[in-house]
Amino acid sequence: MDDRSNLLEVKNVVKMFGGLRANDNISLQVEKGEIRGLIGPNGSGKTTLINLITGIYEVTEGSIHYYGRRIDGLQSNVIASMGIMRTFQVARVWRDMTVLENMLIPAFTQGLSRREAKSRAEELLDFALLIRLKDKQAKSLSGGQNMLLQIVRGFMHKDLKLYVMDEPFAGVHQSIKGIIIESIKMMNQGKDVTFLIVSHEMSTVKALCNKVTVLCKGERIAEGTMEEVANDPQVIDAYLGG
Amino acid sequence: MKIFNLKNIGLLVLLIVAVFLPVVISDYWRFVLTIAFFYTIMAASWNLLGGYTGQFSLGHHTFAMIGAYTSTLLMQKAGAPFWVSIPAGILLTMIISSLLGVMCLRIHGIYLALITWAFAEVVRNYFRLHYAFTGGDRGIDSPLIFGTMKPTPYYYLFLGIAVLAIVLIAVIMRSKIGYYLRSIRDDPIAARSMGVDIVRYKIFVFMVASGLAGMAGVFYGHSIGLISPVMGDFNEMAMIIIFVVIGGMRTQAGPIVGAISVRYLMELLRAQSEFRIVILTAIVILIMRFFNGGLMELFRRLKKWIRRDREGPVSAYQELEQKQG
Repeated sequence: MDDRSNLLEVKNVVKMFGGLRANDNISLQVEKGEIRGLIGPNGSGKTTLINLITGIYEVTEGSIHYYGRRIDGLQSNVIASMGIMRTFQVARVWRDMTVLENMLIPAFTQGLSRREAKSRAEELLDFALLIRLKDKQAKSLSGGQNMLLQIVRGFMHKDLKLYVMDEPFAGVHQSIKGIIIESIKMMNQGKDVTFLIVSHEMSTVKALCNKVTVLCKGERIAEGTMEEVANDPQVIDAYLGG
Repeated sequence: MKIFNLKNIGLLVLLIVAVFLPVVISDYWRFVLTIAFFYTIMAASWNLLGGYTGQFSLGHHTFAMIGAYTSTLLMQKAGAPFWVSIPAGILLTMIISSLLGVMCLRIHGIYLALITWAFAEVVRNYFRLHYAFTGGDRGIDSPLIFGTMKPTPYYYLFLGIAVLAIVLIAVIMRSKIGYYLRSIRDDPIAARSMGVDIVRYKIFVFMVASGLAGMAGVFYGHSIGLISPVMGDFNEMAMIIIFVVIGGMRTQAGPIVGAISVRYLMELLRAQSEFRIVILTAIVILIMRFFNGGLMELFRRLKKWIRRDREGPVSAYQELEQKQG
């Protein structure tokens, strides 16, 4: 894989659900090492875009490139194996499996041995303050803990390059939110992981993200630093207008 | 993991008991246990597919029938020896199940159940209606593998292949593949997003489970000497599910406990004729109402009650709060 700065490039992507244009000609470039925010009012197409990037949905038109290689049309597991992990708005952990077992699977799919995977999982669970719960079933965890587990589970990928997060801070306890923010910073600075984060929490996005992209009604309406987009009349209209 | 833990020692003792049991029981009970071992393989392999992986197939019994008919027909019509017909029977079930697995990849739940049931009916009716080739409803004689109707060698044969099937399933479930299968059942979208190739593992598990059923069917035919489309009756499938559910779905011991205990119970109730089905189904209702994890859940609760569970329940959230001080 080459080291070009454009890690992710979304080119004129359209996603139709029947007659509904959920993503309308969206283009986006994310550079390596960035923490990019993806914001917009409800129903603006953020989650759809994430689902297109991670192979859950197929694009109707346009293309998605990762390190210059076209990835739209690939299966989610192939995309994951290339180093793109994701989280879901409602934490999708394997509820009948233990916290530790949840952690092991992404490492196994990347060829880590049981010992390596366990050691890495325990290290991450310790960081996330979940180590004491490692033998508990995920269904016994709180919503916030499940979100945290879902996030650190993605870090188990041995060659993680891009982490796409859908509302990682929604409805979680303040202390858990702090751990999530710390983990994002740690992986970004220490492991050069690029993040694309969908969030409604403007203060957190502002603190974390170098740049934000704003979607509204399926279209990209603005891009820039948080200060820049906050003063953009189109963005103000999208959030405050009708 | 310690090999000589209490559980494994218990299993070894059970195995030794099973090996020496024919010395003290009659031919009748040897035959009953042989059939119970056949159903143990069927239940354990269905548990791998329907329990662990969440692919609720209603065509599992059909693979035993396909295996039995393939091997028998190869011998009867083509003069094949056992060493050709038996592997061929198992191989064909694996090939057919892979094709069915590919067809059913994007189908879950009730739809998967319906498709596999329809497949089972097509196959059963083929064997019923193609009289000249399969013997129709009358069935077809299947050469006895040991050349005798004495149950003892068949008892050991089925004990051996049941142990083999159970060990194979245990090895799969403890391997990385076992983790993938459980993740696919729990949340296939999350599994795929975390890099699990769900297509590959769904087909794999369909093939392995059906291959085991095929193997059981092949040897079943060559043990009882006559096979017929009765093997494909939906009642057979219902019984397999009942064994798993009564024993404990998604547990390794559950299908064994379920198959052996229910078969034993049915023999005890033989004098009650058809009324035993009423008793059996009443037991199913009671177990499902009070212990929907089956007899294994009952054992777990008893164990917990005996140990008095000193720590008591502590919520995961409380633990995190404690850690954070």
